[in-house]
Amino acid sequence: MVTVTAAPRAQQGTLLAAHGLQTGYGAGSSAIVVARELPALELKAGRLVCLLGPNGSGKSTLLRTLAGLQPTLAGEITIAGLADRSPSALAKKISLVLTDRVRGNHLTVYTLVALGRYPYSGWLGSLHAADKAKVGWALQTADVEALKDKPIHTLSDGQYQKVMLARALAQDTPVLMLDEPTAHLDLPSRIRLMRLLHGLSRDTDKAILLSTHELDLALQIADEVWLLQSGGQLRQGTPEDLVLNGTFEAAFAEEDVVFDKEAGTFLLHLAPGKPIGLSGEGTALFWTERALRRAGFKLTADAPLQVRVRSGPGGPAWEVAGDVVATGVDSIEKLLLAIR
Amino acid sequence: MKERPIKRLRLGGLLLLLVLAFLLDLSTGSVHIPLKGIAGALFSRSAANPAWHFIIAGIRLPKACTAILAGCGLSVGGLQMQTLFRNPLADPSILGITAGASLGVAAVMLAGGSVAALYAIGAMGMSGSWLIIGAACIGAGAVMLLVLALARRLQDNVMMLILGIMIGSLTLALISIWQYFSNPEEVKDFLLWTFGSLGGVTGGQLTILAAVVLAGLAIAFLSSKMLDALLLGENYARSMGLSVGTARSVIICSTSLLAGGITAFCGPIGFVGIAVPHIARFLFNTASHRRLIPACCLIGATLLLLCDALAQLPGTQSALPINIITSLVGAPLVVALLLRQTTIHAW
Amino acid sequence: MTCHALRRQILLLSSALLLFACGGSGGQHVAADSPAATAEVRYAKGFTIVDHAGYKEVKIASHAAGSRDTLEYLLLPAGAAVPGGHPGARVIRVPVKSMVVTGSPQIAEAAFAGVAGRIVGVGSGQYVFDSLVREGLRTGRVRQVEAEDDLNNELLISLRPDVVITMTNPDAGGSRYRTLLQAGIPVLPDADWLETTPLGKAEWVKLIGALTGREDIVNPKFDSIAAAYQRLASIGRSAPQRPSVILEMPFKGTWYLPAGGSFMAAFLRDAGADYHWAGTKGEGSLALEFEAVAPEALKADYWLDIGAVDSKKEILARDPRFAAFHAFRTGALFNYNRRVNDAGSNDYWESGVVNPQLVLGDLIRILHPGLLPPDTLVYYKQLK
Repeated sequence: MVTVTAAPRAQQGTLLAAHGLQTGYGAGSSAIVVARELPALELKAGRLVCLLGPNGSGKSTLLRTLAGLQPTLAGEITIAGLADRSPSALAKKISLVLTDRVRGNHLTVYTLVALGRYPYSGWLGSLHAADKAKVGWALQTADVEALKDKPIHTLSDGQYQKVMLARALAQDTPVLMLDEPTAHLDLPSRIRLMRLLHGLSRDTDKAILLSTHELDLALQIADEVWLLQSGGQLRQGTPEDLVLNGTFEAAFAEEDVVFDKEAGTFLLHLAPGKPIGLSGEGTALFWTERALRRAGFKLTADAPLQVRVRSGPGGPAWEVAGDVVATGVDSIEKLLLAIR
Repeated sequence: MKERPIKRLRLGGLLLLLVLAFLLDLSTGSVHIPLKGIAGALFSRSAANPAWHFIIAGIRLPKACTAILAGCGLSVGGLQMQTLFRNPLADPSILGITAGASLGVAAVMLAGGSVAALYAIGAMGMSGSWLIIGAACIGAGAVMLLVLALARRLQDNVMMLILGIMIGSLTLALISIWQYFSNPEEVKDFLLWTFGSLGGVTGGQLTILAAVVLAGLAIAFLSSKMLDALLLGENYARSMGLSVGTARSVIICSTSLLAGGITAFCGPIGFVGIAVPHIARFLFNTASHRRLIPACCLIGATLLLLCDALAQLPGTQSALPINIITSLVGAPLVVALLLRQTTIHAW
Repeated sequence: MTCHALRRQILLLSSALLLFACGGSGGQHVAADSPAATAEVRYAKGFTIVDHAGYKEVKIASHAAGSRDTLEYLLLPAGAAVPGGHPGARVIRVPVKSMVVTGSPQIAEAAFAGVAGRIVGVGSGQYVFDSLVREGLRTGRVRQVEAEDDLNNELLISLRPDVVITMTNPDAGGSRYRTLLQAGIPVLPDADWLETTPLGKAEWVKLIGALTGREDIVNPKFDSIAAAYQRLASIGRSAPQRPSVILEMPFKGTWYLPAGGSFMAAFLRDAGADYHWAGTKGEGSLALEFEAVAPEALKADYWLDIGAVDSKKEILARDPRFAAFHAFRTGALFNYNRRVNDAGSNDYWESGVVNPQLVLGDLIRILHPGLLPPDTLVYYKQLK
C-alpha cells in the first residue's frame, strides 16, 4: 500500500507532496524500477498539472503510485489533512479517472456517478440529501445532466469520459487525477474536455493532475508541467519556461522530429533543399513558411528565389521574384506550382 | 418518479407469483389431494385424514421450504459471482465449492466402502443422512479455505477463475477413480445423489439449512455497497475506499455458505444461479445490489418451486430429479438471454 | 410227468422268464435321442434336467439382453463318448470335483449338497457366510476371482476348476467369459435370481446336485423342504388375520418395492400377509414416490425387510419422519439381519435361499403369533 502520512503543518495550498519517490513494480531485489530519481513533487490547490512524456516513460506508473493504487518502491507521499491511513480516508482526498472501461449492464449514468459518493453514503449505499445534491452538481459541471438516465453502454466515448469525470467530481475530493483522459476521443471532444478541466481548476479549488499526449492543449491549459523523460528523469516547471529553456526540445528530440520553439509545435525535420527567401506580414506569412518547408525549401535571407506575401482586401496575395517570376498568385497551391 | 408505480406493480406481481408457485408445488405429487385437503392438512389441528396430513405437512411442505431456500441461496450466490468476476456466465459453482462438496460425498459413498472408515466417521456422531451432509460440508469447507488462502495472494480475478476450474477438474478425476473401483450399487447411489433432490430435508436438517442460507443471504445483503463498488472494477473500487481483499473474502464466505450448504443438503442443482440474476436485472432494470438481492430471492424461489412442481410430472406416478428440470428450463433461458444482444453485449 | 420233473420245468420256465425280463431291459439299447426319464423340476422355471442313459441333458433358460435363449449342457462322466443328436450343447464332465462360484446362493447350494469343500474360488470374498468357505479363503484354499468389474482370468485358468458357475449367460455381454471358454473351462449360469417363487429359487440345488453327483442326497432333501414349505404355506394362507405389511426404505424420495409377480410377493402371499401392491404386474421392483407409499406405510401393521439398519435409532437417523409409521410406534419392526457374521455377510442371502421353509416359518411366526408352535426366529429379528 501507499505510504502516506498526515502532514504536520502543510505548506499553504499544498495538497499532496512526494519526496524521494521511486516508482516501479515488485519488491526487494526483484523489483523493476520505472523511475529512479524523482525530484520533490507537489500538487497545489487550484492548479492544474500536466504530466507529459513519451510512451514508456512511466507516466501511468507515476500517476497510479501517487493515487495510491500501487505501492512506492521508496520515498514518501504526504497528503494534507489525512486523518488516518485507511483506504476510506484516502478516498476522501483523491479521486481518479482511469483508462479502465467500466462495463456493467443496466448501469445508468446517474447510478454510476452516484457511486462516487461511496466514501460518504449510508451502509447499504443509500444517498442522503447532501449526497444527491453533490451528484446533481457533478452531473451539471461535467455537462452530462441530460444523459443521466441512459445506460452507460449506449454512451459515446466522449460522453463516457465526461461521465467518469462526473463520478470523480461526485467523490468531492481536493485532489483529482486523470490518466490519459483524452485518449480515443475525437478532436472536438478532446478540446471540450480540456476546457472543462481548465475551468474546474479555476472555479473549484481542486488540485488537478492529468497525464496526456495532447501537447498542444496541455501547453495551453497547464499551470505546471511535469515532463518525464525516457531515462526516468522528471523536469518540472511552467510550460513556457520549459519550452524556452530547451527542455521540451531535448525531451522529444528524435532523429526526424524536432520541437520548434517558435512554432510551438513539432516539426518534421525534412531534408532542406533549394534555398528560398520569404518576407511579408500577417497570418499568411506563418502558413506560407510551413508550406515552403514541407515542399522541401530551405529558408535563407538572400536566395535567388524570393517570395513576398501581402495581405490585401481580397485575402493574401503572393509575389515571386528572382529565378521564377509570378504575380497575382492568390493561393498557396498556385504558389507551390509556380515555384516548382 | 414515473418508475415507482411500475416498480411497485412488478414487485407485487412477483410476490403473487411466488405464493401461487408455492401453492402449486404443494398441490402436485403422485397422490391427488384437492386444495381443501391441503388447507385442512395445514391449518386444522385434528388430522381428519392422517395420510394427507403426513403427505402435506411431512413431505410436501418441507420440500417446498427447501425449494424456497435453495432458490434464494443459489440465485444470490450466482449474482455475487457474476459481480465479482464481472462475468455474465458465472455461477455459484465457479469457485469449485460445489465440486468440493461432491468430493466429500463421493469419499463417503464410493471410497468409504471399508467398514473401518465408516465406523470412524460414525464415531464422530454422524450417521445416516447426516453422514452425507457432514461429508459434503467438510469438502466444501476445505475448498473454501483453499480459495480464501489463495485469493489473498492472487492479484487477479482471472486467476481465481482458473483456480476454480482446476479444482473442479481435480475433484472430477478423483471421483472417477473411486467410481472405477466401486461396485455398481455404490456407483448408482452416488449417481442418484448427483441428480439433486429437494425432498428428504426435514426437521433438524431443514432448520440448519435455513440457518445457513439465511446467514449467507444476510452477509450478501449487508455487502450490497461493496458489490456495487466492484461493478466499476477493482481499481476504481479501491480508489473509492474499498478494501478489495476484504471484499473478496466476504463474498467468498457468503457464496460458500450458500452454495456449499445447499449442495450438502440437496446435492448439486444447476442453472438457477446463472439464469436468475439476469432475469432480475432485466425485470427490475437496475444494477444496484440492495435491490437485486431481494429480487433474486423472489425470482429464484419462484423458479425453483415451479421446477419442483414440474418435476413431480403431474398426471403420472413417477417423478424426475430436480437437476434435470432446472437444466431443461434453465438452458433455454440462458440461450434467450444470449440472443438479447444488449444484455450480454454490454458486459 | 413226475413231481420232480414239474418242479424242474417251473424252475426252468421261471428262470427263463426271469432271464428274459432281465435280459430284456439289459438288451434294450437306449437310442441317443429318446428320453427315458425327466428329472422332476417342479417349481423352477429356469432349467430342466433330462436323464438319459449314461448322461444328463440340462437346459437353462438364460435371459441375455432381452432375448430368451436356452443353453444346453450335457453332463457326461469322464471318459464317456459325447452322444450325438445334441448340436450346440456343451459338455461338462461330472461329477465335478472343483468349482468356482460367483454368487452367494451357489455357496449355499453347494453346502446343501454337502460339497462346499469342492469350492475353490468365489467371486468376491467379502460377503461369504459359510464357515468352510471362509476358512478356505483364510488359508488360501479358496481364491477370490473377481476384481473390480472383471474376472481375474489368469487366476481362474490356473485354478483349472471343473466348472465355473456364474449368475448370467456366459454368451452374452461380450468377452467376459470368452477367455475361459477358449481355455476349455466350462461355464454354466445359475439363474436362481430370476425365479419368481421361493421354492423355484431353492430348487436350483438340484443342478448342483446333478453336477456334483449328489442327486441321491439333494433330491430327497429338497423334497422334504418343499413338503415342509407347502405345509406352512397352507397354514399361512388360511390364517384368520391378514396383517398389512410394508417393506424396504425409501432413498432420496424414491421407494423401491417388490412388484406383485416377484418372489418376495409370493412369500408374503404364502405367509398370509396383506401386501398392498400384490396385484401389480411385474417380477422386479416398483419405483414409487415416497408420498405414494406413505398412506400405506402410515397404517401398515408390520414393517419388514427394512434394510441396512439395526435399531430404531438408526431408522430415525435415516429420516425422522419414519416415527409416524404405525409399525414403528408399536415396534413391529422385523429385519432379516439376525444371521450376520463379523465381516458383515448376511446369511439370509446365502442359506436363506435354499431354506425357504425356514424363512416362511419366520414370516408366519412374525405375522401370526401363536399360529405355529413357538420357536426362535432363524433369519429375522425384531429391531429395538
